[in-house]
Amino acid sequence: MRSVRVALVAGFTLLGVALLLTLLGSPMTVAATNKAPAGEAPIGSTSSGATYCQARETLPDRTTAIRIWLDAAAGPRVRAVVYFGGRAIAGGTRGSDWIGGSVTIPVKPLARTVSATTVCVSFQLRDETIVIQGMPSAAAVAAHDGRRPLAGRMAIEYLRPGTRSWLSLAREVARRMGLGRAPAGTWIVLLALALFGTAVTLASRLLLQERL
Amino acid sequence: MSSRTRSVPRAALVCALVALLNAACWSLVTPPFQTPDETDHFAYVKQLAETGELPSSGSEQVSSEEIGVLLGLRAFRVRQEPQVHTIASRQEQRELQNDLTLAAGGGVRGSPAAGVAASQPPLYYALEAIPYVIAVHGSELVRLQLMRLVSALFAGLTAMFVFLFVREALPAAPWSWTVAGLAVAFAPLLGLMSGSVNPDSLLFAVSAAVFYALARAFRRGLTPRMAAAIGALTALGFLTKLNFIGLAPGVLLGLLVLSARAARTSGRSAYRLFALGGGLAVSPVVVYAGVNILSGHATLGIVSHAPRLTQGSLADEAGYIWQLYLPRLPGMLNDFPGIFAPRQLWFNGYVGLYGWLDTPFPAWVDSVALIPAAAIVLLCGRSLLQGRSLLRARAGEVGVYAVMALGLMALIGADSYLSFPATDAEYAQARYLLPLLPLLGALLVLAARGAGRRWGPAAGALIVILFVAHDLFSQLQEVARFYG
Repeated sequence: MRSVRVALVAGFTLLGVALLLTLLGSPMTVAATNKAPAGEAPIGSTSSGATYCQARETLPDRTTAIRIWLDAAAGPRVRAVVYFGGRAIAGGTRGSDWIGGSVTIPVKPLARTVSATTVCVSFQLRDETIVIQGMPSAAAVAAHDGRRPLAGRMAIEYLRPGTRSWLSLAREVARRMGLGRAPAGTWIVLLALALFGTAVTLASRLLLQERL
Repeated sequence: MSSRTRSVPRAALVCALVALLNAACWSLVTPPFQTPDETDHFAYVKQLAETGELPSSGSEQVSSEEIGVLLGLRAFRVRQEPQVHTIASRQEQRELQNDLTLAAGGGVRGSPAAGVAASQPPLYYALEAIPYVIAVHGSELVRLQLMRLVSALFAGLTAMFVFLFVREALPAAPWSWTVAGLAVAFAPLLGLMSGSVNPDSLLFAVSAAVFYALARAFRRGLTPRMAAAIGALTALGFLTKLNFIGLAPGVLLGLLVLSARAARTSGRSAYRLFALGGGLAVSPVVVYAGVNILSGHATLGIVSHAPRLTQGSLADEAGYIWQLYLPRLPGMLNDFPGIFAPRQLWFNGYVGLYGWLDTPFPAWVDSVALIPAAAIVLLCGRSLLQGRSLLRARAGEVGVYAVMALGLMALIGADSYLSFPATDAEYAQARYLLPLLPLLGALLVLAARGAGRRWGPAAGALIVILFVAHDLFSQLQEVARFYG
């Protein structure tokens, strides 16, 4: 019984610390993007492995992830590398568990902004089809696959942690959670907290009462 | 049999309540129509509740009322676009309110089209028609929320039956049953699916009940009442979702093994129990086919177009299904180049892929999750090693559970193979394996016991906290993705 009490206290303390650290962290924000307000359109597609490169990009300082608009039903492993003057200055890999219209690839952040970079994205495919989404452009500035240009520039977002913590955004997030409901209101958040809190309390009491 | 063993223990009821509360919480955290196929399942209920008829088309052109609300919610833009959040301004809320008012006065009855839901059997949708009709004067969002709460009730039943299953299957240490019941109650995927309108929620509950009934029969012997219960539950499974077909061969094998055991003491008449259970089990299929034949329709109605489970060579298909779950063997074509399917499709998918399969954790979480998963598997292995003689004695029962699991996995693999190679693995979604939650419960019980008599209870408490933490951060991930 005592060991269960100790395990519960230790476990919930750890959970509380992890929760606090998470809430003190910041959500990702878009540091820069080349996306047009009108949205994206298909600029190419492939059913085999490929590397697409796009020059005239700018890598903002403290960028921790790059989001590229690739459309896939079950995305493959994707590698992104940022080059400056022919040298790789940042890069990262995303595993194959992504789906949908874009893939977010974590990269190591740099302390300063670097202009005139080239972003290359590579993946291996055998059966899937990937559609590259972007903005139509002249061939001279379009992304290319090493042999010929695509029909435009790939849509890219550069992401980095915002300046505000999740904790300081809590009221705003709670307000948004209350929209799109009937009836609308932040009561949704209070009720969700009450439900989860009650569930955890009941579970803890049961673990102690069942003489584990 | 004492009244104590007959009744549902208080601990099982508390596990059920915890699962219900957790799924209800998920139903509030997840935005309307942002779980897999909820739009189609809602359309099915609308059709059944308003017209009394089943959907007749698999088209995704659901009713104009529902589409109006989906547009008001920006649901099509939010879906599978993790960078797009839900509505955020008072103006958008007002526009949504207008859409809801228009939908309420639209006068459109039913929705003949119900997308992927159209080919599913009607039991779940008939049950969901009750809250739909109760809230007939409310908006579509009120109806949806009430329907989600009915699904949450099924999460409670699932956790309760998992508790009861491990009580029958692993009766040695009563304290460990609570570990299984509570861990499953906090399983995030159960919360997500049972916090939405989806027949999976009822399928999980019915499957857990079937496992429980089989375990009880293996422990206490097959009686006419128990054979009828197993048959009736199997019939409910067939009426709930087509995926239940994967479990059915194992259930029928279980009835056969149990009948053969009963025959040792009561002679060949025991096989009547098999006929009773098996007959009840397949009765919905037989009745449905009979009505269709008599009315001049395809034997299995709209379902006739769904169960096509093969394409190409059987050897290639078998190789594909193998690789979907296990490492590729020499000589097999590589159907998943560059990925290890068990890890990336199933494990990562279980660790976290929420919303409309568009809300994962950061990739490092999947890697860190391997540590507690490996610890649980090792402890379970230790427990099995210690009890190997007992395991041998119960080989028949274990074999039945294995056939149920393999049947479901083969069905998912065969279905996925139909769209391969255009899509790598369309149905490799961890939620499809949740009918096997009772086996996860058993694994967790064995893991807790594997820590030994002294440390087992503490290990059990830590396993429950692990599931609580997983659940909490999974819900926060949804909050960050949709409202951040």
